[in-house]
Amino acid sequence: MATPIIMPRQGQSVETCIITEWHKKKGDSVEIGDVLFSYETDKASFEEEAKAAGTLLEIFYEADEEVPVLTTVAVIGEVGEDISEFLPSTTVTEETTPPPAAESTEIADTPIEPTPASQGQPRTSSEIRISPRARNLAKKHKLDYRYATPTGPEGRIIERDIQSLLEAGPKVTSAAMADYFASDQPLTGTGLGGRITTSDLRQPLPPANTVPTQTSSVPDYVDVKLPNIRKVIAKAMHHSLSSTAQLTLNTSFDATEILAYRQKLKAKQNELGLENITLNDLIIYATARTLLKHNELNAHYLDDTLRVFNNVHMGVAVDTERGLMVPTVFYADLLSLNQLAENTKRAIAACQAGSINPDELQGGTFTITNLGTLGIESFTPVLNPPQTGILGVCNIEYKIKLVDGEYVHYPAMGLSLTFDHRALDGAPAARFLKDLVTNLENFSVLLAM
Amino acid sequence: MPKIQFVDPVEMRKPGKITFQDIPINQYNKTIEEEKSNFSAEDFLRIQRDMVYIREFETMLNLIKTTGQYREIEYNYPGPAHLSIGQEAAAVGQAYLLTTDDFIFGSHRSHGEIIAKGLSAIHQLSDEQLLTIMRDFFDGAIYQVVEEAATSSSVKDLAIDFLLYGALAEIFGRETGFNKGLGGSMHAFFTPFGIYPNNAIVGGSAPISIGAALYKKVNQKPGIVIANIGDASMGCGPVWEALNFAAMDQYRDLWEEGYQGGLPIIFNFFNNHYGMGGQTSGETMAYGYLARVGAGVSANQMHSERIDGFSPLAVIDAIRRKKAIIEEQNDGPIFLDTVTYRFSGHSPSDASSYRTKEEIDAWQAYDPIITFKQQLLDAKVASESDFEKIEQEVSDRIFKVFKLAIDDQKSPRMNLYANPNSISDLMFSNEKIEKMDDREPITLIPKEENSRIQQIKKKIRVAEQDGKPVSKARAYQLRDGIFEAIIDKFYTDPTLIAYGEDNRDWDGAFAVYRGLTESLPYHRFFNAPISEAAIAGSAVGYAMAGGRVIAELMYCDFLGRAGDEVFNQMAKWQAMSAGVLKMPLVLRVSVGSKYGAQHSQDWSSLVAHIPGLKVVFPATPYDAKGLMNSALAGTDPVIFFESQRIYDIGEMFHPGGVPEDYYEVPIGEPDIKKEGQDITILTVGATLYRALEAAKILEEKYGLSAEIIDARSIVPFNYEKVIESVKKTGRILLASDACERGSHLKDIAQNISELAFDYLDAPPVVVGAQNWITPAHELEEFFFPQAEWIIDAIHEKILPLEGHVTKTNFTKNEKLRAQRLGV
Repeated sequence: MATPIIMPRQGQSVETCIITEWHKKKGDSVEIGDVLFSYETDKASFEEEAKAAGTLLEIFYEADEEVPVLTTVAVIGEVGEDISEFLPSTTVTEETTPPPAAESTEIADTPIEPTPASQGQPRTSSEIRISPRARNLAKKHKLDYRYATPTGPEGRIIERDIQSLLEAGPKVTSAAMADYFASDQPLTGTGLGGRITTSDLRQPLPPANTVPTQTSSVPDYVDVKLPNIRKVIAKAMHHSLSSTAQLTLNTSFDATEILAYRQKLKAKQNELGLENITLNDLIIYATARTLLKHNELNAHYLDDTLRVFNNVHMGVAVDTERGLMVPTVFYADLLSLNQLAENTKRAIAACQAGSINPDELQGGTFTITNLGTLGIESFTPVLNPPQTGILGVCNIEYKIKLVDGEYVHYPAMGLSLTFDHRALDGAPAARFLKDLVTNLENFSVLLAM
Repeated sequence: MPKIQFVDPVEMRKPGKITFQDIPINQYNKTIEEEKSNFSAEDFLRIQRDMVYIREFETMLNLIKTTGQYREIEYNYPGPAHLSIGQEAAAVGQAYLLTTDDFIFGSHRSHGEIIAKGLSAIHQLSDEQLLTIMRDFFDGAIYQVVEEAATSSSVKDLAIDFLLYGALAEIFGRETGFNKGLGGSMHAFFTPFGIYPNNAIVGGSAPISIGAALYKKVNQKPGIVIANIGDASMGCGPVWEALNFAAMDQYRDLWEEGYQGGLPIIFNFFNNHYGMGGQTSGETMAYGYLARVGAGVSANQMHSERIDGFSPLAVIDAIRRKKAIIEEQNDGPIFLDTVTYRFSGHSPSDASSYRTKEEIDAWQAYDPIITFKQQLLDAKVASESDFEKIEQEVSDRIFKVFKLAIDDQKSPRMNLYANPNSISDLMFSNEKIEKMDDREPITLIPKEENSRIQQIKKKIRVAEQDGKPVSKARAYQLRDGIFEAIIDKFYTDPTLIAYGEDNRDWDGAFAVYRGLTESLPYHRFFNAPISEAAIAGSAVGYAMAGGRVIAELMYCDFLGRAGDEVFNQMAKWQAMSAGVLKMPLVLRVSVGSKYGAQHSQDWSSLVAHIPGLKVVFPATPYDAKGLMNSALAGTDPVIFFESQRIYDIGEMFHPGGVPEDYYEVPIGEPDIKKEGQDITILTVGATLYRALEAAKILEEKYGLSAEIIDARSIVPFNYEKVIESVKKTGRILLASDACERGSHLKDIAQNISELAFDYLDAPPVVVGAQNWITPAHELEEFFFPQAEWIIDAIHEKILPLEGHVTKTNFTKNEKLRAQRLGV
């Protein structure tokens, strides 16, 4: 009996995965536990191991192909077995159970996808089934229905799907409407609020003729194919900068107390069975608690609403070999320092190992990014929309200050807060920084609160 | 089943025999000499003249059909021409004594009867009367044409021009024809002269004629009715039904004094021995002598006899005697076997492959025109020159009329470019007439003394009171709504009559008419024989003649038995008459359940398909009363569907319940029974209540609010409310108990797709009964739409419902499978 190999579903929100590499080829013999192929979602990479032994009889999807989750991608069995029942159908694959209704967005304390539908791969118009009513609704709101998740019969996009998309889908400017609906290409909007503009619709210009000025034995350049995650990061960064009104405030604080506290913890670490609590953890701890009083920074800026969160789900930027990842430490404001350190560490490790659950890569309400260990004195972190703030943590430099008529030096740690000016003004943002500085400089007092 | 008549077993089981009176055959044998006391020379010559008119008129048509010209003027006439050349004496003889109060109905072969009856009427009417008729008819449109072309100042001459021209223009499909060209050769008629519709369905005039005779009897109008049908129509069931219906015992034994006696009608069979090519006596019939049939129908043998239709005087003699039997002895109906022969073929394309030249020649040797002329010459009543004069007059006039009728300027066709609604405007008369006559209606007791009226007074006119459902026994039911409207009209319109199977005494099979018997005499409310064709057909004739009538088919499944009468007659005569006739007729049709395959079908879609019928199907007491009031106030034929499932339902929707006073629910307006936002459900008939159940499930289990629209009417149908609803909800499901394939709901669904395409979130979905036979009551839940089916269909085809598990199969594959197999 042949065994189908299914593309696993990595998290509830994942609909498709891309096979990055096949480690076995058709006809290879396979043992249980052999890595068959690698694949990635838009947020992480995974490896699929064989769960049955035998011969890899057929591969239905090659590397680089995008595969709907739970679809059979290959078959393992005995040579000569009939595998026809596993052949992917030529029509659109449908689920036998009705797709879930659109998620409720009312519950404020559950993690929300930052940009739900728009991160899925849009389909081309010719593949799309859409009801006239849904099409008209999309048109009315200048919405690209190709990004909608169909929940109607036979994979048809119906009215409610457009209503779901209304929250976050790409929009089109009036000027670009006609061309947009004539276009079959999925597009990313670069206009205000992610709107697709006429410039997005323009065909790329042919490269200008350049005269080579020197020759070399090595080629001038190599084209490195961007991995999926790079494309996602590129898109997200660009979207952030083009769709928000972000600006950065810089300050620093006297890190004497937290450095001392950190030393104390380190000394008692084994005795108390504590985690290795880092400076970063202390800063996350202080930030999470400070944010509770400045909730316009613990918020999502949605078109006509500011969704203010009652708890802090802290995004922590992690540098991995695949690129930037931002796992979320949920309920950071409720965790003890030790729990916080434990959760943060686990998430960072999972990101670096590429085993992070994609659901953990969403739902952040504020983000902290730390370039201090790399000697950066100040920078302009890029917002992770629809979040309204991101705190950059910089290195420690020694500064001089006047104490009782005497100049004393102290370790000053830099903080760079980028915030969305659409959501709040400079003064409240500065007040947040001021409170944060106070809390960090009086960390023991904060711990008592 | 009147209790006053005892069915005595002693009498029934007694030995004995039935004896018949002799059936006279061609007993007329008078000479011209003997008839001189009855006819002046002028009369004799007029008889000859009228026969020659018919002969020349039809010869002209025959030449046009066979040679494409008449007297060297070319004309192409592609339509029908069923000629009666040879039969002129029968037509002229019949018309000779008839007045304009006497109505004749005819067949596809009735040009001769039109001309004969018209000429007879012109002879009898004064110049003044003739001018009034001609000037009033279609506001003088026909009169104007003939008057401009008049060559004589005589009104009678003008009237003859008018008659021939009106008939010929009608045959040629001209707007200046008697029926604006909408009737044509087989349907031309002119009621002011007592010429009622000719019918292209063989025997079609028999049931209609009895309705006209019923009208005369019930409303005590002067005159008799003659149904002119052919010998071959004796093979048609509706003709047999009509014979019996006209002769029922109850007219003599049960009807009130002053209304007693059989119907004032002569069934006149123009016996030309062929039904198209089928030889009747000798091949397709069993009667030997056609007159034999009439003698078996009733105790008076229908005064049946065979007469010589080749002798105009023999026919006149017969009509004189038969008319007297009806008018003086009140002993109709009459059965006449009028022997004749057509020299012409069935139609111009007839190659006479079924008869020999010898046979035709033999009959032509007795050509009535030649024979009668010779008799008059022999009797010295007239000279050759008199006949030459007649022939000249006829020839000139027919030629003149012919030229006039083919003149596109003077005799235009309906201009459907300029007036595209010319025909559609005639499909319904859309009039409101409270009563068809001003007489005091004849009833037996004052309305308020009627026991049903008193019982209904005590009823609670809502389904729910103080939050509790009202018990069936106390609730004002749908059947009460129908009854209230009907009894009200019986006390308003003196012409209103109602009949059907088991209407009287039994109160109708479903007790709608309970209590009606005590209010109404037999002549207004009676039991019909189990003769659906005669029931529906006679209602057509009654309405056509000027009365208002409610006929009833006990089960919708019996509609097939009245197929022609509903589909061809009831639906078409208003438009085919170009608006001359009205059809104030309500046909109540009860849709069954529980009784299996031949008693449970909803055939509303069949009648909805036929242009010219209004079709309603109320589902609540309020709507039933209001729609019945509208139907009974109008002048159009209304098929009034009632569902046996809900005769006892109370009023759940109309605020304040069913009003006691008169009100109308306009025909054609659907009604929103429940407002909602997410999906529209349109129902026809009793399915409304299953849709409400489905709406409850949708609301409670899936958080969807359904808007329920009750179609109430099927034809006509105002889509506005439905479209507005679909614009709001974006989704629509349509449900009725009719079998899904060919259901009228498919038609509505298609129209919605066209009218609201851009607003639709899913295609309109129709849920109907299975395309099977209706099974036993215990299995009906698998056959008729249920609430659960509606949910399943929504889930599968319109809006997937989270967590819903279907019980039925509404998938595409199932649809393809079923359609492939024709089930």
